[in-house]
Amino acid sequence: MKRPLARAGIVAAIVVLAGIPWLASPSIVQFGINMLLLAALAQGWNIIGGYTGYASFGNSVFYGLGSYGTAIAMLRWHLPFGVGLALGAVIAIAFAALFGRAVLRLRGHYFAICTLGLAQVMTAIVSNLEITGRNTGLVLPLLRGDVLFYELSLSLVVVATLIVAWIARSRFGYGLIAIRENEEAAAAMGVDTTRYKVLAFSLSAAISALAGGIHAYWITFIDPVSAFDIGLNVKMIIVTVFGGPGSVLGPVLGAFVLSAISEVLSTEISTVAGLFFGAVIVVAVVFMPRGVADLIRRFDKYRWRYFAENVRANRL
Amino acid sequence: MDLLWQGLVNGILLGGLYALMALGLALVWGVLNIVNLSHGAFIMLGGYACYYLFSGLGIDPFVAMPISMAALFAFGYLLQRHLINLVIRAPMFNTLLLTFGLDVVLTYSAQIAFSADFRTINPSYAGAHFTWLGATVPLVRLIAFAIAIALTLLLWLFLGRTKLGRAIRATAQNLVAARLYGVEPRSIYALTFAIGAALAGGAGALYGVVSQLNPYIGVSLTAKSFVIAIIGGLESPLGVIAGGMILGLVESMTSLYIGPTYTDVASFGILVLVLIVRPTGLFGRTT
Repeated sequence: MKRPLARAGIVAAIVVLAGIPWLASPSIVQFGINMLLLAALAQGWNIIGGYTGYASFGNSVFYGLGSYGTAIAMLRWHLPFGVGLALGAVIAIAFAALFGRAVLRLRGHYFAICTLGLAQVMTAIVSNLEITGRNTGLVLPLLRGDVLFYELSLSLVVVATLIVAWIARSRFGYGLIAIRENEEAAAAMGVDTTRYKVLAFSLSAAISALAGGIHAYWITFIDPVSAFDIGLNVKMIIVTVFGGPGSVLGPVLGAFVLSAISEVLSTEISTVAGLFFGAVIVVAVVFMPRGVADLIRRFDKYRWRYFAENVRANRL
Repeated sequence: MDLLWQGLVNGILLGGLYALMALGLALVWGVLNIVNLSHGAFIMLGGYACYYLFSGLGIDPFVAMPISMAALFAFGYLLQRHLINLVIRAPMFNTLLLTFGLDVVLTYSAQIAFSADFRTINPSYAGAHFTWLGATVPLVRLIAFAIAIALTLLLWLFLGRTKLGRAIRATAQNLVAARLYGVEPRSIYALTFAIGAALAGGAGALYGVVSQLNPYIGVSLTAKSFVIAIIGGLESPLGVIAGGMILGLVESMTSLYIGPTYTDVASFGILVLVLIVRPTGLFGRTT
């Protein structure tokens, strides 16, 4: 992002997005909150999945911990929302740091499945604890303020993207990319791989937890199944891979494009929408495996051959 | 004591079916390095194929089962040959995501084609059972168990004793070397995936007899298959049998002594523990 024009464009886009709640209808603002939270979650996943190359299915755990941390702080201890958000993030970071050491030793599919298992265990534990309201979940105090939640979500996206932009050109980020490309080589070059991975996992956790906390107070109701939903984690991955994993703006673009598509489709029959969504994923993986960000960057050079080149590069 | 014995019997009978469910996933994972997230959807499709052959044409479910396996075999072959082979060299996320997309497509197609109602394959002898050393053994569960174990052993023999089976194992170990020896990876991959799908089809037919089908069972069956493949390792069908038994026993013991709501904690807790302590599976080789 060295070009001043692109930078000005992004600032303008943020200003326009920030102004939307004062111009658009309430339903669009609600759609916007969902879209922005998804963008933030995707950006969080991008740090551990896109840059470090570890396909985490544990980010929905952090999201759940953030939701429950916020809810418990507000309901049981009567703390303000901001403190609850911070508490949720701290719990998630602690969880990531604690389990990350053990889990991040696993590679590839094994890491993915182990985090998937952690998510299942957390769902079951939370549905059996008294403080979390067991299966029935918790009801938070109602706050009518979609504009507040919208601006909060937007700020989270901006902060998360700034963090990723910093990662993309910091020593830390180069370390993460080195780990993704070849972990042994990275270690041989003096990258403290464990510390880097745990740090990336914790950053990812903090962003997911903040999104969870904002969502919990906005929706005012959480239960174990929805708070620790694996489906949400799958969504983060889809959005990131669709947008461009390991790029600064890709996950945000992916969230915007896919949210818009599914919003348009959901006005039609929901089964057909689901079918179409699946088909979009299949087609995208085959023809644009590096995501929208890469398509935008390289389409000028290759034109329509871009899609054929991708297939040729990855086929057997 | 009686309760414990009955729990053990239930767990082992369930475990045999679990092993067959996971077998195809473990085979494809071991050979193609693809974790097929649509594996559970294949099981679901196999179940529906058997259901319609039984309720529509009156074919006995255990006779219909090979037909449903053949259908899934063909489906799997075409899918791998013309779609999944296109992304096989892409990063792991991409194949994971592709099979996830397939799972979504298959699930919603099934919902449109078969409706969301629960279906059970219910032959006249469905309720038959006998008592063995004080434990009740439902007949269909025992037959399902026997077929599942027989198919697993057959796969083990096929991989170990036939030329094709050796080619598949060679491809799993070293693609380049296998190519040098004249193995054509495109068709071997398609064939392996087809065998995996056929096994899923068979498991689905048995699942429809002992349990209930609906379009959404796929995801949880994929998750269970994962757990079993991890516990058993990817090297041998015999490891998968052990993995299936362990999961079956853990589930039945947990629901007996701790409570049915804790079965997921127990099975996924074991998964996490096994992975952290022994990432190649309990019975896998150490690297």
